[in-house]
Amino acid sequence: MQPDDQTQVAPMDETFTTGQARYLYCVADSGEQVSLGPIGIDGSKVYTIPYRDICAVVHECPAEPYNSTDPEVVNSWVLAHQKVVDEAWERWGTVLPLGFDTIVMDKDGGGAEENVRNWLQNDYDNLKTKMEKVRGKAEYGVQIFWEPQVIAQSLIKTSPEISQLEEQIKSQSKGIAYLYKQKLENALKRDLESKADQCFRDFYQRIRRYVDSIVVEKTKQGDENTQMIMNLSCLLPRDKSAELGEELENINSIDGFSVRFTGPWPPYSFVGT
Amino acid sequence: MEPTRDTHYTLVDLLDRVLDKGIVVYADIIVSVAGIPLIGVNLRAALAGMETMLSYGVMQEWDQKVRAETTGIGKQRELPLPVRLS
Repeated sequence: MQPDDQTQVAPMDETFTTGQARYLYCVADSGEQVSLGPIGIDGSKVYTIPYRDICAVVHECPAEPYNSTDPEVVNSWVLAHQKVVDEAWERWGTVLPLGFDTIVMDKDGGGAEENVRNWLQNDYDNLKTKMEKVRGKAEYGVQIFWEPQVIAQSLIKTSPEISQLEEQIKSQSKGIAYLYKQKLENALKRDLESKADQCFRDFYQRIRRYVDSIVVEKTKQGDENTQMIMNLSCLLPRDKSAELGEELENINSIDGFSVRFTGPWPPYSFVGT
Repeated sequence: MEPTRDTHYTLVDLLDRVLDKGIVVYADIIVSVAGIPLIGVNLRAALAGMETMLSYGVMQEWDQKVRAETTGIGKQRELPLPVRLS
């Protein structure tokens, strides 16, 4: 492994023997052999390696991973990767994106370019199947948040058990009140989870009507007052996104809930194995 | 509501996808470190500042449980849905 500072600069100039490896951006729905210009990571020249009616979108690079400890650098690489995939997507309509840092090297006698072509050949059926699955579609991120404080308030109002505990806390001595308070917190936690459960199921059913496939992702921390209760990647025809948007607007307008709707993304979540 | 790709708003979303997803090439022609293909794992470390954003929320157990349950449903959904409102 190389130290970070060496690999992150790695300009594609004469000091480097280029052509040892190919960085892969995506596989596109075209057998065209074409140069897309210096639009790649760190200004690399991007071009296609065709096999039959598909092609890999690549640039030449040393056989070393891009690696950096600087978040700014990583962000800029990721954005550059995405920009190339977008360009290919725009141009050819259907693409299968690769994850960052997929680099094919020169090995087993064949050059890196030949290895890319062999991979396209060997995986051709699989790649074509995936291509058909995502043709005309895009990926959208749907993240649903709630404000636990707001939801808890409404639970306190509607749950007899909790409102009773609240009363008891008010009327008891400090020591006893403390115990009731703990009881209340446990009851609230339980009710919040069951409410989250119920919301998840409800929203999932509502969303799935408008989409072809769903991947349920890990939820993440929200900001100070919100909590993410749902994180989905959805695959759907691009022209259906307005309908999904309407349904999400309905959820977004429920008191205490908010929705983040991102996309269209290339179908990253639907091309893995 | 309209989907957005505003980078201020969606950078984490994009990082998740580009670093962790996409086609995985299982072949020995792929550059790897210590035999582990580089699927953004190393780069994640560089994004330490975002760690809090990327870590689990407080309902971790609940989240895991629900995702485990829904994976079954998610698998079925991999098939094209017959439901299409016409």
